[in-house]
This record gives sequence, C-alpha cells and structure tokens, in this order.
Amino acid sequence: MPKLIIDDIAVEAAEGVSVLEAAKSVGITIPHFCWHPALGRAGACRVCAVKLLDGPVKGIQMSCMLPAQEGMVVSTTDPEAVALRRQVIEWLMINHPHDCPVCDEGGECQLQDFTIACGHGTRRFVGPKRTHVNQELGPYISHEMNRCIQCYRCVRFYQEYAGGSDFGVMGSAGKVYYGRFESGQLESPFSGNLVDICPTGVFTDKTARFRARYWDYDMAPSVCPGCSVGCNITPVARYRELLKIVARRNDMVNGWFICDRGRFAPKGVNAPSRPRTSLVDGVKTGREEAMDALLRRLGEVAELYGEGSIAVVGSTRLSQEGATLLPLLAESISAGALSYGLSAAESRASSGAISMLTLENGASIADVENADCIAIYESDLREEGPMLLLAVRQAWRRGAPVLLVGENSPLEQVRGVGIEAVQLHYMEEAPLAIFERPVVIAGMRHGDPRVMAVLDRSGARVACLFPGPNGHGAALLCAEHGGIPLEEALAKGKVKGLVAVEADIPAELLAGVPFVASLDWRETAAVQAASVVIPTAAWVECDGTYVNFEGRAQRFSRVMKPGLPIKELDPACHPPRIHQGDPPGGDILPSWQVMIEMIRLAGEKVPDGPFSGSWANLTSLDPEGEGEVIRGRCRRDS
Amino acid sequence: MIPEALKNELKARVAAAVTNREAAVDVMKRLQAHYGWLTDEGVHESAEILGMTTLQVEELATFYEMIYRRPVGRRVIHVCDSISCWAMGGESLMAHMAGHLGIGVGETTSDGVFTLLPCCCLGNCGEAPTMMIGDTLYGRLDSARAGQLLEEERAAVMGEMEGGR
Ligand code: SF4
Ligand code: SF4
Ligand code: FES
Repeated sequence: MPKLIIDDIAVEAAEGVSVLEAAKSVGITIPHFCWHPALGRAGACRVCAVKLLDGPVKGIQMSCMLPAQEGMVVSTTDPEAVALRRQVIEWLMINHPHDCPVCDEGGECQLQDFTIACGHGTRRFVGPKRTHVNQELGPYISHEMNRCIQCYRCVRFYQEYAGGSDFGVMGSAGKVYYGRFESGQLESPFSGNLVDICPTGVFTDKTARFRARYWDYDMAPSVCPGCSVGCNITPVARYRELLKIVARRNDMVNGWFICDRGRFAPKGVNAPSRPRTSLVDGVKTGREEAMDALLRRLGEVAELYGEGSIAVVGSTRLSQEGATLLPLLAESISAGALSYGLSAAESRASSGAISMLTLENGASIADVENADCIAIYESDLREEGPMLLLAVRQAWRRGAPVLLVGENSPLEQVRGVGIEAVQLHYMEEAPLAIFERPVVIAGMRHGDPRVMAVLDRSGARVACLFPGPNGHGAALLCAEHGGIPLEEALAKGKVKGLVAVEADIPAELLAGVPFVASLDWRETAAVQAASVVIPTAAWVECDGTYVNFEGRAQRFSRVMKPGLPIKELDPACHPPRIHQGDPPGGDILPSWQVMIEMIRLAGEKVPDGPFSGSWANLTSLDPEGEGEVIRGRCRRDS
Repeated sequence: MIPEALKNELKARVAAAVTNREAAVDVMKRLQAHYGWLTDEGVHESAEILGMTTLQVEELATFYEMIYRRPVGRRVIHVCDSISCWAMGGESLMAHMAGHLGIGVGETTSDGVFTLLPCCCLGNCGEAPTMMIGDTLYGRLDSARAGQLLEEERAAVMGEMEGGR
C-alpha cells in the first residue's frame, strides 16, 4: 500500500489505484469527466491535472492515469495545475450551447459542477460554435449533441461494457459525434445507463422531460421491483407522481447500472385507474367499514361452505413485510389455504432452490462477474434477470466461456450483449468441474427441479432466478408455513372465499370463487372481480423489504406520500382549502399494516411489527447498506 | 448495387483476413472507387460484406479522411495543413489552390473535376509544403508549380472521360 502526500495530507492508498482515487479516499475531489469508477480511465478530457512536486514522477500529470506510488507529493492547488484545469475546461466549453436553463441535466450536471470547480466563469471565445444535428433515439432517451464534451464515457459503456453495436463515435478531431448510423431506437437492453453516465446533458430521460429540477425531487433509496435481481435504484417523484428511475450504486448487487426494463417500465403507480379508495360492492366507503364488511362476509362464507373454504393468496411482488404477515392473517380468519401465488412449476422450482442453496454455494452478481465459466440453464435472462446478462458479459470479457443449457435458453439473449456462447442440451454436458470458479444461472420458469440435485453436486455456485422481486422471500415463508401453489389452492372449486393480497391471479382461476376480496395498488383481475377492495400503498409509497435471487434482503424507503397526484386533482379544488396533514386520497396503508388492522379486528393478538422471531433481524436493515444475505436458512434449520 | 463479382471478390478478401475489421478499409476503398464516394448504400454493403454493423463501418469511414461520405470530384486534392507544411507555407499553398480553382476549401469545382480538402499530414514533411491530387503526392510546392499541376491533372481527367465515353 503506497504512502503519498496529497495537499499536505498523508494518504495510504489501496494497491493499484490512481492518484485521483487516492485523493478521493481522503475527500479531495479532483475534477474528472472521462474517468468513471466502473469504466476506469481513458485520459481523454485532461481536466484532472495535478502537479507532482516530489517523488518518482514530477510536474503536471493527469491524476486519473497516474498510479499512486510511494513517496509522491501531489498538489491539486498548485497554480500551474489550477491554471491548466481552468484552460482545459474553458476549451471544453467552447462549443457548449450554454442552454442549462432548458436542459434536464441542469442541477445534477457534472459539467456544471466541474466548470465552476475549475474556475471558468466568463466566456472569452466569440467565434461561431460547432453545432450538430441530433438523432431520434426512441421513446426513452433524448439526444442533444451540442452539449457533448467528448469524454467517451457513453461509447465505452455502450460498446465495451454492454456489448452494444448500434451506437458509437463517428468523425474525428473537432467533429466527433456520438450516436447511431441513423436515427432509431437504441438496441441495447442497457441503453438507459447513458443517461446516468454522461456527465452532461447529451442523453436525458425523455420520459421525464421538463418535469422537475433536482432540488424539487422526492427521492429515497429504493429497490427495483422488476425482477428478482433487486437492483438498487433511486425513484424520482414530484407532486406524488413517479417521474423517473435512476441507478443507485450497490457493489454487492448491481454496481453502477440497471437495465432498461427496470428503468423504463410503465409506471403503474401513476395509473389513473389504480385503486385508491376502499370499495364494497363497487361503492366507496372508509377502510374500517370495508374491513368490517370483509370479515363479516368471510364469516358468512365459512358458515355456508364450512372449513377450508377460504384461501389467502399473496405474491412474489408482495414485500417481505406483507409476506410475513400473510400466514397470521390466514390464521386469524381461519383460512384453509395459504398461497404465495406461485404456479405449480414455480413452486417446485422455488422449494427445490431454497432447500439446495447455502451461504457457500449461492452466487451473487459479483460471483457471476468473476466466474471463469458460466452456464445459463433454462433461462432467457432478458426476461428473468437482465442485469445478470451484463454481469455475464463482464466475465466473458475476462475470458470465461458461456454455455446456454436447455431448450429455453435462446441464443438471442447473449447477442444483445455482444458475446458468443455454446449451446448444450443437458446440464450434465457442461464441463463445470474443470473450472475453478464456475457459476450456473438457473431459470425457474421452466427449470426441472431434479436439476437442483445436479447443481448441488456440480461444485458450481448457483444463481436461481426466482419469479418476482420477492420470490426468494416468498419461497422461504411458503416452506415455513406450508403454503401451496396457486392452482392447488383454487383447485376443484373448494375455495369459496378468497383474499388476494397484491396477488396477480388470472381471471379464469377466479371465475368459480363466489367471494373475492383484494388488497392491492394495481388494478388486477382480482381487484376487478372483488366485492371488497382495500387499496394499499405502492412500493414507492412505503418502506419495505425484498429478498432478491441470491437471498439478499434489501430495504427500500418511501419515496413519496401516497395520495392523488396533483395532476389528477380537480383544479377548481386545488389547493384544498381545509387544513389536513395528509394529501387528498392519502389515507392508504401498506398492505402489511392493513393486514395488522384486520388481525386486530378479527380479535386476534396483534404482532408489534412485521418481523418477529427468526425474522426479527430484518427490522434493522439499512436502506443505504448492502442488504443482508439470509439464504440457506431452510437448509440450516433442517 | 455493386456487381456480384466485386462482392464475391471482397468477401474472399474478408475471409482471408485474420479479423474482418482489418479488411474494412480495403472494402470501403473499393466501394468508394465503384461509386465515386462511399454512399449510404455503400456503407450498408460494406457492413454486409464485413459482417459488421453499419455503425461500426461508419465509425471507421468517418475517421479516415480519404474515405468520402459525400460526393467528391474526380480528383480530390488534399493540401497538408499540419505543422511542418504550415511552417513552410502550407497556408498560402491552400489559398493559391482555392484561387486557381475558384472554390472554397471543402468545395467541388462546377465541372466536377476537383474537390479541395485540407489534410492533417501526408507523411511528406521533408518535402513541405505538400499536397496530394488523386493518388499522387507532390512536394516542395509553390503557387506556379501548383497551378501547372492542376492543368496537367485536369487534362488527364478530360482524357479519361473521353476514353471512358
Ligand atoms: S455524449 Fe456525454 S458521455 Fe458521450 S462523450 Fe459526450 S459528454 Fe461524454
Ligand atoms: S435486472 Fe431486474 S431488478 Fe435489475 S433493473 Fe432490471 S428489472 Fe430491475
Ligand atoms: S479524468 Fe483524467 S483525463 Fe479525463
């Protein structure tokens, strides 16, 4: 670990880091554009200049390109270094249109920050500026090339990191242009990261164009509900409307990036048709009355049809808080069946996976990136876990062969990230034993549960792609509480009363159930079929926990208060001229709290919170932390 | 569309290369010779022959200054504007050329014979100031010599056009 001095501060730098990173480790931010933690250095922008006063290297140097070495004496404040940085930024800004007031990056722009930091405040150049013609890059990303400072981050991410081949850099000298051969939607499933990675406003999120400034945002650390990978995100909201989603760094999960599916998913939270008031037989009522009616009618169903005629159904998108309370709710209303909404095939695969996974044999995304061989078993990662595809590419770039095993692992998935793969029919054909760090990524939609035994013996680390953002958590609880698959719970017309808690149940399955109640924030088939509807808070409107594919429990925080978006309010009644703490339509609880209320009404003992007993350790999860790996608890318990 | 024979010949050239990409400049130059400049159609055809995307071809095409993505005259004149030539009178050479031709830098004469372009180093610094007309390199130029070369090249082009007729 080299020891050096930066601005009179003694620094012990980690092995192999640059002077720029060493400075960062003691809180000195040297301006930088082309250097990015996930992409490394390029030496293209020249704005990170420092002066070395003594040691093995002397004079002006680019701090991102220079490895920190023993005995270096670095000054970031030396007049020569300061002057160089000022001249470089002045030159980078020569063609910039100075259009910050109409740029969505404004207020969260590295170019703004570093222009000021480098001391360039007055424009001297009076000549004509070079201008570009922008391209139409599809519905998600706006292109404004005149703001470009040629740092090459976008193309390095898109081509090298993500393997895209339809976006790049054209031209030379003063005319470099970052774009496509011709207008058209960007093809990479990771294109949205251009918005995050460009240090200026060349790429901005079109879906949130001209909606808000950084200081207006409601933001909180959150977790993507798109699939079981559980990427860390920051949803951005304003006026109770979800505007956009940006990636949030978690080196144990998604690193710096997220996929387009997670970023640009349709924002159901904003859907005007989503349930926002309690309904009994289609008539609006208060929550208390709706809960009373629900319990009363369940009583009637039980009386009429007898034992075991009531089912409680959750889902893999229900937070772990809700999922943990589901069995208590079922007990309090004497339900005969408890289901976590899994299909029979998913149930088999999930229970196989949780009983096989241990702390040692489970694979994280980092394990995938560092693997020396990867087998994708019966999965299309574009559907089941897009970010794993990006991780697979990083391993492939370091030389790991990629095997696609089984008939449900299409070759097209790896083409999207520009890698080559070998197709195999059976898991047994994969020569995993000859590798040191093999990883198998197993899909669970088509997976044959017998394969779990094969995987268990293979010596490979395994990533099992559970359905939904909380599939792993649901599977653990399902095993603990004897949950059954959805079809089984609804089979043979035995169920006459059903309580769906954030559950996506196909309409056909509900057809034979006379009484349906639904607790949800989405307008599902169950909500449509339900005689009693109680709205719940959406994932951005409450705190919660998801357990991701590797069994990592991650806390997400409330981004915005529940309530009608200002956009949807009648302008004549806005602002409401009565004093109230909650916004209109804001009397909505997270599903687990609704369940606690119901348990209380049913006269049962109410738990203090969602997590108790062996789950109590989840109470103190830090939303800004790395999460906590809880996989293997089944196996340890048994 | 390029003739089948040319396409097959270029495909064989690509097949003989260690990586497709290294044959890209050859392929682009042949298609440029065929069309007179590298047309959009030519980019698509290059991409197909090379097994690359159109973007990947365009990245190379727009990087190299002797691949022309816009129509040019029969002879492209590249006048070096790099440091050695600049020190030896490259700027006045360029001005003379523009004067002789009656066009600005980046333009093509109305008869379609010449296009005048700057060029950053022709690797002929020892003979500065220098320029290239078509595929021929000329050094130690002054205004008179440059004017004379233009006459010769124009006559040669006329001859080619007669011959071609
Ligand atoms: S578009 Fe953005 S990321 Fe790409 S080179 Fe320009 S400034 Fe850098
Ligand atoms: S990989 Fe899954 S969790 Fe991650 S951003 Fe995409 S959809 Fe969301
Ligand atoms: S950050 Fe060092 S040269 Fe760009």
